[in-house]
Amino acid sequence: MTTNRSLWVFIILALITGIGLGLAYGWVIDPVDYFDLTPDTLRADYKADYVLMTAEAYRFEQDPGLAARRLAIFGTKSPSAIAADGLDYARTNGFSDTDIALIQELVTALQAWSGIQ
Amino acid sequence: MRRIPWDILLALLVPFLLGLGLGLVYSWVISPLHVLDAEPVALRVDFKDQYRSVIAAAYAATGNLPRAQARLSLLGDTDSIEALNAQAQRMLASGEQFEHADQVVALALALDENKRSTPQSGSVDNNGAPVSTPTVEFVNNIDAEPTSTATPPSLPSDVPIILTETPQTIEPQSTVNEPTPRPTNTPVPTLGAPFTLTGQETICDSNLPDGLLQVLVLNSNRRQLAGVEIVITWDGGKEQFFTGLKPELGNGYADFIMTTDTTYTIQLARGSDVALGITAPTCQTSSGEAFLGGIKLTFQQP
Repeated sequence: MTTNRSLWVFIILALITGIGLGLAYGWVIDPVDYFDLTPDTLRADYKADYVLMTAEAYRFEQDPGLAARRLAIFGTKSPSAIAADGLDYARTNGFSDTDIALIQELVTALQAWSGIQ
Repeated sequence: MRRIPWDILLALLVPFLLGLGLGLVYSWVISPLHVLDAEPVALRVDFKDQYRSVIAAAYAATGNLPRAQARLSLLGDTDSIEALNAQAQRMLASGEQFEHADQVVALALALDENKRSTPQSGSVDNNGAPVSTPTVEFVNNIDAEPTSTATPPSLPSDVPIILTETPQTIEPQSTVNEPTPRPTNTPVPTLGAPFTLTGQETICDSNLPDGLLQVLVLNSNRRQLAGVEIVITWDGGKEQFFTGLKPELGNGYADFIMTTDTTYTIQLARGSDVALGITAPTCQTSSGEAFLGGIKLTFQQP
């Protein structure tokens, strides 16, 4: 009886160990590789750099509609909110003053542009 | 000699393997890690195209090639120049604005020219001494633990991208601690020197459409150029067409159907030699039957 019970304890321990190792392998050692992702999954610094690129182009093109379309790939938020997020990131992460000024200009332009849409 | 307790080992191994399988199914299928911090390399193809377009637009605005190179490297293309050229073709084929495709082509050209003008790493000078290459270096520490989120070091404004918690850091070797002035806005780079007409052949191939005018546009490195506008005029008519709309025939290929008894003048819109007096030749098949042949023109940057 006692031998039987201790065997069941070992069986359950083996099961739990297997589950734990499986989870560790699947979440830590070799997590799922993702491809074909959408831009909203990008890391914050890449998003901010994308906003900066859009701002650089906007300074030259002066076309808020085009800038808004470029930012629209991030989906859920309005272009001005996306640009504002980029501006927040730039301010708190040591972007150069020139880059911050560019993004600020884009945010202002998109806010004005949103107002007349 | 003790007997191996196979029954006990099996009783432990089976639940262990069962648990392992359950754990993997849960972590890979049922509840995989959510993607929150993806890198541009993992983007879907159409979003990568959009990313490249914006890189090209930013480059057209700033003229900052190192920054554009650093950004392009994030997309993981094996050959950024080819990727840009191919994208320009897709953009033209899908009817996007020519200006946007032109920005992409301009960046490809700038990269190509920079590649040819920059000595390769490991090259040697005339005295046999190694020549340092002033290129941007990318240190890829993807497997490293993320570092703290402290404010990044102050970098020159010319540095391509500022990253925190950074699997990828980008350090320009040639601009250590020395802020460099930001480039002023520059116009979109042009293709450089005008193209010269380097070839004009009569093509008598009955398998080709009658009166086919084929145009091939190459840069000075004999690389085919996509998105180049070709202007063809004739008595009472004018039309523009572009290279790269038939990528299966080459990035720098374009064609036009000529009609009988019409004389055409062909020139590249960006400036080139003028091919004057182009008419569809009359050819004969091996059986003596006449058909309208074609002309192949090759333009190349000197």
